[in-house]
Parts: sequence; C-alpha cells; structure tokens
Amino acid sequence: MRNTVLVARFPKPDFTSGYQYPDVLHRVPMETFWSWVDVVLLVGMMGFVAWAVHRRRSRRAILAVSIVSVLYFGFFRTGCVCSVGSIQNVVLAMAGGDGYRLPLVVLLMFLLPLVFALLFGRVFCAGVCPIGALQELVNVRQWHISRAVTSALSFIPWVYLSFAILYAATRSQFIICRFDPFVGIFRMGGDVGMLVFGVLLMVLSVFVGRPFCRFLCPYGALLGIVSRVAVKRVKITHRQCINCRLCHHACPVDAIREPCGGKVAESRTIGTRRVALYLLLLPLLTVGAALLLQSQSDTLSMAHRDVWLYTQLRSDNPPAVLPAEVEAFHEMGRSMDELEASVVSVKESYRRLSAWAGALMGFVLGCKLVRLSLKRTRKTYEVDPSTCVACGKCFSYCPQAGRSTSQPMEQRAENGVYSNYPESRQRSSVAQHVNESTRFIKNSQHEEKHL
Amino acid sequence: MERREFLRTCGTLITGGGLASLGGVLGSKASAVEGETMWQIDPERCLQCGRCETECVMRVSAVKCFHANQVCGYCDLCGGYYREGVKELNTAAENLMCPTGAITRRFVEEPYFEYTIDEDLCNGCGKCVKGCSSFGNGSLFLQIQQERCLQCNECSIAKVCVSGAIQRVPVGTAYKLKDHA
Ligand code: SF4
Ligand code: SF4
Ligand code: SF4
Ligand code: SF4
Ligand code: SF4
Repeated sequence: MRNTVLVARFPKPDFTSGYQYPDVLHRVPMETFWSWVDVVLLVGMMGFVAWAVHRRRSRRAILAVSIVSVLYFGFFRTGCVCSVGSIQNVVLAMAGGDGYRLPLVVLLMFLLPLVFALLFGRVFCAGVCPIGALQELVNVRQWHISRAVTSALSFIPWVYLSFAILYAATRSQFIICRFDPFVGIFRMGGDVGMLVFGVLLMVLSVFVGRPFCRFLCPYGALLGIVSRVAVKRVKITHRQCINCRLCHHACPVDAIREPCGGKVAESRTIGTRRVALYLLLLPLLTVGAALLLQSQSDTLSMAHRDVWLYTQLRSDNPPAVLPAEVEAFHEMGRSMDELEASVVSVKESYRRLSAWAGALMGFVLGCKLVRLSLKRTRKTYEVDPSTCVACGKCFSYCPQAGRSTSQPMEQRAENGVYSNYPESRQRSSVAQHVNESTRFIKNSQHEEKHL
Repeated sequence: MERREFLRTCGTLITGGGLASLGGVLGSKASAVEGETMWQIDPERCLQCGRCETECVMRVSAVKCFHANQVCGYCDLCGGYYREGVKELNTAAENLMCPTGAITRRFVEEPYFEYTIDEDLCNGCGKCVKGCSSFGNGSLFLQIQQERCLQCNECSIAKVCVSGAIQRVPVGTAYKLKDHA
C-alpha cells in the first residue's frame, strides 16, 4: 500500500526560543451515550403508544409522541440510524466479512419495534418512527386509492427490501440510506434529488396518508407481517360495530376493511380450486423469480465498486478522461490479480444472493395472490392488522367509541360523546345514523335467532 | 372462527420463536464492548481526490484538514501554504493554496513558521494536503471531524472514496492522526 506518512523531507526543527508544540485535543462526541438515550426513548415511546392505543384509546397521546419523535429522532438526532435502515446493518452482519460487528444499539433498533409489533401491532409506526410521524403530522386529507391499486403498490416495499438485502449482503451499498427521502429534510441539506423527492412526498402526504409507509418502506413490510399475528390487535372500538362506515373514511392508510356479507360470487368448490391453484403456483413463482433475477446477477453486480472498477479497467475504449477511481487504482499500486480475485468472489456471491432475493419477491407475490383469493367472512368493519399503523385516528370517529363496554350506546349518544367529531360529520345527523345502525344490528340478531 | 384463532396463536408463537432466534443469532454477532462505530479516514490511504469536499451530506463537509505539528518541518516555503511555483512569498490570496484562506501562519523564530488550520473555514478540499504530501513532510492530512460528522449509517463519502480510505471504526479509536507516528 502507498505510504504518504513521514516522507520527512525536512528534519524536525530544533527550536531555541523555547517553543512548545500546541496541545491539540480532538474531542469525540458522546455518541455512545446518545445512542443509549435513543434506545431508552424508543422503548418508552413504544410502550406509551401501546398504552394509548389499547387502553387509553387516545389519538391525542399518539399525536404528542409523533411530535416528540419528529423533533428528537428526526431533527435532533438527524434521523440516523433508524430502524428502517438498520435492516441493512443486520444483513451486513449476517453476511459477515469486512470484520463488521453489529453495534448492539443498532441490533436493538432493529429488533425492538418487531417485538412490540408482535405484542401490540405496529405501535412503532404510530408515532415513534420519525419518518411515519412526519408524514402523519402534515396529513390532512385522506384521498382513498382504489383497493386494486393499493394492493399492487404494496408489493413495491418487498422489491425494495429484496434489493436492499442483496446490496447490503454483497457489501455494495446501503440503498435504503441512499434513497431515504426524509433524512435530507431532517438534516436540512444533502442530496438535491432526494430533497426534492422528499418534499414531493411531503406534499403528497397532505392528501394521501403516509405514501412512503405504504408504498415504499421495507421495514413497514416486515412489521406488517409480524403484526398480522399480533397478540393484541388494534380495535376500532371495544364495543359492537354498527356498520356505520364512519371509521372507514378516517383511516389514513386504508386499513379498515368493509364487511363482505352476502357477496357470495362463486360456489365453494370453484373458490377452493382457485386457492389450490395459487398454492401450486406459489413454488413456481418463487423459483421462476429466483432464476429470473439470477440471470441478471452480472448486471446487478456492477453496483459493487470492485466489479465496476474492473470493467472500467478492462473496457476496450477507455474514456479520454480516466475516472478518478481508475487513476487511484494505479496510484495505490493495487495488484490486478487481487482485484480479479475480489471480482470473482463478488460475482459469485451476487449469483447466490440474487437468487434468494428473487425467491423472496416471487414468494411474496404468490402469497399475495393466495390471500386475495381467500374467502372473506367479515360481518362488520374490521382493521387489517398488517396495514394498520395504530395511529388511532379511527377511534373517535366511531359512534361506539369509548374505553369500556359497559355504557349502552344510546345513552352515550345522548350524553354527547360525539363532541370530538368534526363539525361536518356532527351535523350529518349522527343520532339518526346511530338509530338506523342499531336497527340494523337488532335485525341481524333477530335473523340469526331464526336461522 | 375458532380454527382462525388457533391458527393465529400458532402464527404468533412461530413468529415469536423466529424473532427470538434471530435475536440470538444476531446477538452473537453484535458487539457490546466496541459499542458504536464511527467513520474514519485512513490518512495513509487518502489520495486527496477532492470528493471529501463535495460528497459529504453536510453543506460544508465534516471532513477537515488536520495538522500534525510533531511531524511538520515549520518551513517558510510550505508546500501546503503556497501554491506550486509561486514567484513571491507574500500572503496575497493568489499565491496561497487554500481556496478559503483557512490556513494561517505565525512566525516562531528564524527560520520557522507555525501553521494553523481554521476549522470553521476549511471545506476539506485537500489541496493543501496534496501540496504538503508532495513537497513537505506530509503533516497536513484529512480527517473526519467527529463533532461535526452526523455519523450517517453509510457515509456518503465512503461510498465514493476512490481509495476506500473511509471505514467504520469503534468509537474508542475515532481519530487516526499522524502526530505520534
Ligand atoms: S412504515 Fe416504515 S416509515 Fe412508516 S412509520 Fe412504519 S417504519 Fe416508519
Ligand atoms: S388505528 Fe389503524 S385502522 Fe384506525 S385509522 Fe389508524 S391505521 Fe387506520
Ligand atoms: S474521498 Fe477518500 S481519497 Fe478522496 S479526499 Fe476523501 S478520503 Fe481522500
Ligand atoms: S486547502 Fe482545503 S483542506 Fe486545506 S485547509 Fe484549505 S480548505 Fe481545508
Ligand atoms: S458520515 Fe455523513 S456527515 Fe460524516 S463525513 Fe460521512 S457523509 Fe459527512
């Protein structure tokens, strides 16, 4: 390796005037201290949100957490390392090599939100994640996107995740960090392209709830999977749903699914057969996608600096101005054999890992197909636990709102529990609505008895 | 409905087990002792390509020029202070290497001068470092000023550094200096 130290062209001066070398002290910020503060706050805030969502059922408490998170994790800690990006550190540590040791704090950043999601649903997304909180705070309108489009777009996070894993495991790049649209906003500077993208997303999230969370965030995809089997699920109300549809409009991420009673479109056998077909298709899709991505592994491997450098060195018509990397290669006196060996091993790992990344995408696609074709049995409005970000917006919209199941609904209506309703909705004769809905429930109970 | 509940409980248990074992595996790969890592330039590898000035996510780069006084020759004709081939040794801006005027010098005694970097002005361009390495003792070098660095999860400069000089190091060894070489 080239050595620029101590060329000592000039001897050390021998001062006669009693000159003292200045004392230079390079201070290290208390990074370790602050990262433990991060972890403590992370746990504290997630615990608080869990309480606010499941016990207190208060949107305002969650909003407060969002503000704290944007200020602390976002603007004060400049959004790094976040749980979303920690996926890559974890993958890098799993892949080994380069002597990378996963800092314990980063490991906790990665694991804790998943553990909380398994217990209480996506309480991390509710307001603790600064990215989600930022989008939540600017959101005023919920333009609903059709279910088909949402389903299609929600595949993107998985593609993003697969590539993030591929590039992190091959030690090429941290693409989640590279393309993080919000970190620039938190730092008030940085890559111009990403800043513009971030601002555009912010503007979009005024009208559409959390576009990044729903259609890009790879960590959200993981949290969604885990919270599907959460021990405590987010509930719109602890009482009986009266199918008034009010909550449906409130949800920023379209997590509230309408009842599908009475819509039997096909016979049972056809439905079962279709599910069976998709289940058969699942391994085919997985293997197919794996092979497809693997066939592209050489192109993908150009993201690794050694492979790129090697191609530049080997190219038949080198550009007039050599890239700085090529010049550096010559200047550093790195041997061609060593580079070649590195390129071979990098390409090999790309071949292996791109197959896995492809398989992941294919498998998820297959699972989504199977899920879409499953028979639905919802009788009331229900929360889809994997999409719900536990924001609590729907709580106060529900005429059945409240913490306990003791107080009868009509009485609560008289007591004016709907005072925290938006004006417009209050005027749309909630009482009448409630009455109708009550009749609906009573009727359906009636029918059930006869069945 | 009961079948559903049962399946979901199974799912919860499986996912919980999965998370626990993932935590176990990762825990064995994690290091509590070394704790956090920081980004660091290895001055021996840095080629002063100029990307440190432009690629950092900060408006003014967190990379600064450091000066190892113990190594410095205290020369009058400093390769890092004056541009190459200047006619007159006066401090007119067109004669000086540093584009931002971050290097000041102070007369110590005949014939020695002490050089100091004003970190607030330095933008990490590395021009002086190149001059000093080529014509002097190599006492000027670029290093990440840790108090300014945001400790990005992946340093934007490290990604494009031509010589791969920027690496993660444990906090305890945050600065690699040239003083005690
Ligand atoms: S989905 Fe992703 S970005 Fe959104 S709140 Fe959750 S972790 Fe944060
Ligand atoms: S708590 Fe869940 S279901 Fe209710 S509005 Fe928020 S994201 Fe939607
Ligand atoms: S990018 Fe690398 S080689 Fe270029 S100046 Fe910075 S540390 Fe030196
Ligand atoms: S020449 Fe560049 S690196 Fe050296 S002190 Fe001036 S701004 Fe800093
Ligand atoms: S880690 Fe970030 S702030 Fe620090 S030098 Fe690298 S790019 Fe600049």
